[in-house]
Amino acid sequence: MEMSALIAGFDETVDNALFWLGDHAAFLFDFFRLVLEGLYDGALWLLELPPFYVVALLAGLLGWRVVGRGFGLGVALALLACAAMGLWLETMSTLALVVAASIIALAISLPLGVLAGLMPRLDRALVPVLDLIQTLPPYIYLLPAIALLGYGPATALVATVIVAMPPAIRLTALGIRQTPREFIELGQATGVTPLQMFWKIRLPFAVPSIMAGINQSLMMAFGMVVIAGIVGSGGLGETIYGAIRTLDIATSIDASIAIVILTMMLDRLTQGAARPRNGART
Amino acid sequence: MEKANTDADTAEVLIDCRSVWKVFGERNAEAIRAITERGLTKKEILQQYNCVVGVSDATLQVRRGEIFCIMGLSGSGKSTLIRLLNRLIEPSLGQVMVKGQDIATLDAAALRRMRARHIGMVFQSVALLPQRTVLENAAFGLEVQGVGKDERNRAAQAALAKVGLADWTARYPSELSGGMQQRVGLARALTSDPEIILMDEPFSALDPLIRRQLQDEFRQLTKDLGKSAVFITHDLDEAIRIGDRIAIMKDGVIIQTGTAEEIVMNPADQYVADFVAGISRLHLVKAHSVMIPPGEWAGAPEGLPCCPPEADIDTLIATIAGSDRDAVAIVEGDAVVGIVTIRNLLSGVRGDAAAVPAAAA
Repeated sequence: MEMSALIAGFDETVDNALFWLGDHAAFLFDFFRLVLEGLYDGALWLLELPPFYVVALLAGLLGWRVVGRGFGLGVALALLACAAMGLWLETMSTLALVVAASIIALAISLPLGVLAGLMPRLDRALVPVLDLIQTLPPYIYLLPAIALLGYGPATALVATVIVAMPPAIRLTALGIRQTPREFIELGQATGVTPLQMFWKIRLPFAVPSIMAGINQSLMMAFGMVVIAGIVGSGGLGETIYGAIRTLDIATSIDASIAIVILTMMLDRLTQGAARPRNGART
Repeated sequence: MEKANTDADTAEVLIDCRSVWKVFGERNAEAIRAITERGLTKKEILQQYNCVVGVSDATLQVRRGEIFCIMGLSGSGKSTLIRLLNRLIEPSLGQVMVKGQDIATLDAAALRRMRARHIGMVFQSVALLPQRTVLENAAFGLEVQGVGKDERNRAAQAALAKVGLADWTARYPSELSGGMQQRVGLARALTSDPEIILMDEPFSALDPLIRRQLQDEFRQLTKDLGKSAVFITHDLDEAIRIGDRIAIMKDGVIIQTGTAEEIVMNPADQYVADFVAGISRLHLVKAHSVMIPPGEWAGAPEGLPCCPPEADIDTLIATIAGSDRDAVAIVEGDAVVGIVTIRNLLSGVRGDAAAVPAAAA
């Protein structure tokens, strides 16, 4: 019985801590909420500014430049299909959410990954934290976020950022850490400064791994953004969540197709951008 | 292959390596104390301290304009030794003086300057940055020193021209063959115009024909530019081809240092003797090593074919074969300084040091 009392006490403490934060640090979380929603609104505003066919055309051109002609054409047609299904606003809203979440996640995880790659002790401290983040079911992150930030896109963003960070941190650290030994030696023998060693030698070798990390983070963000439909993220996630509640199978399939289209588009685009250009092979 | 060791004895010492030790392992400090205080051997150090002696009491001097080869098999400590010369590896004991400065005393910035300006290095793995063009790779040293783009590209272009790659500047390393990549590695070391070039088995991974070609070009280029070089190799033929002087290493110890001729004619121990056994003496052994004083020869030197003291055995054989006499007069200036008979030549070809009378001059 002592054990359950202990656990009840622990639960109560956690609850109290959350309430205390909600009561005393409300201004702080209101500020966070403002910033997060501002970022999301900004991205959404930009995506909804032009008519859907212009967005589809621009995305098609980007796909053509980065990957190839067939892919560019496919992207444009697929986006037009989203509009045809009557899900254009939801699709753009989801895209805005993913883009905003990824920007925040990468702004934190790339520098953190670089530091972890350079400092083995930081890396050792980070690994269990990242393991924990990746093993817990992603729903978990919605709860404290909703307690502190309320129902809406800000909560969805925070939960998505948390889920999206680990792969970028891990793969950035890995890329920085595994610079081939002979190139470290070349740098030393040439007389590079520590900063030059990072920018001119370590970073160029880490780029493929970092790009893979960015790609993986985006994929995680897409997964989370659908789950975050529960907390009123808006977009396709909320459409799917609503369709599940009313057993509207057709709508949920339409929305799923739109999600798949977005995911594949960003996946190929980031992979295409990661491919080494101008004949350089490693 | 004329070897200019005449001024090598008087030229300024660029690298002075004094009784340098390198011991690897966690307990290296204790191991070093045991070596200096109790004189433990390499084997005892390994057993008692679990430390590996990489370089043991190495002393060598590299003079300006000299190509100094360090020859040893894998595990002999030669790669460790060359890294001690630019402090890529810190010595456990002893001093390395470069241009009169103890490099152990340099702070980080001064060491970077020393490496950037005065000591170039070429690696067996070449280590060309794959994301950069050949020109950008060759310019890397100057780029690191903060030299402007135009100026460093001009220097890199000139260095690439010297190694015969002027037309390849815009290519990427992966588009080049192994031999060409190593030329870029050499050009990169030359671009910063250092006085000393450290070559860590640069040609070992190349096929034999390309290797010979690069050996000759490297020697020619180094001599033309007046550079000094320390050249690591596991191949005695290569050491003889390239080096003015050769140090032979085994188990971290320099067993013998000398010119190729000295090492072939007077090996310091059985290990060196076994090594040089298969080396052809034809181009190594010179007339002054095999000749006898003119007085010891029964015949009259008049009318004999003549050769200078630096003529190798191959030349002497050709000279005798082309005349109707049995001996060659060795002439320095106007004076006959020695005589080489057919008997002397045969002993020289065998490389049997005992059978060859000591150089008379």
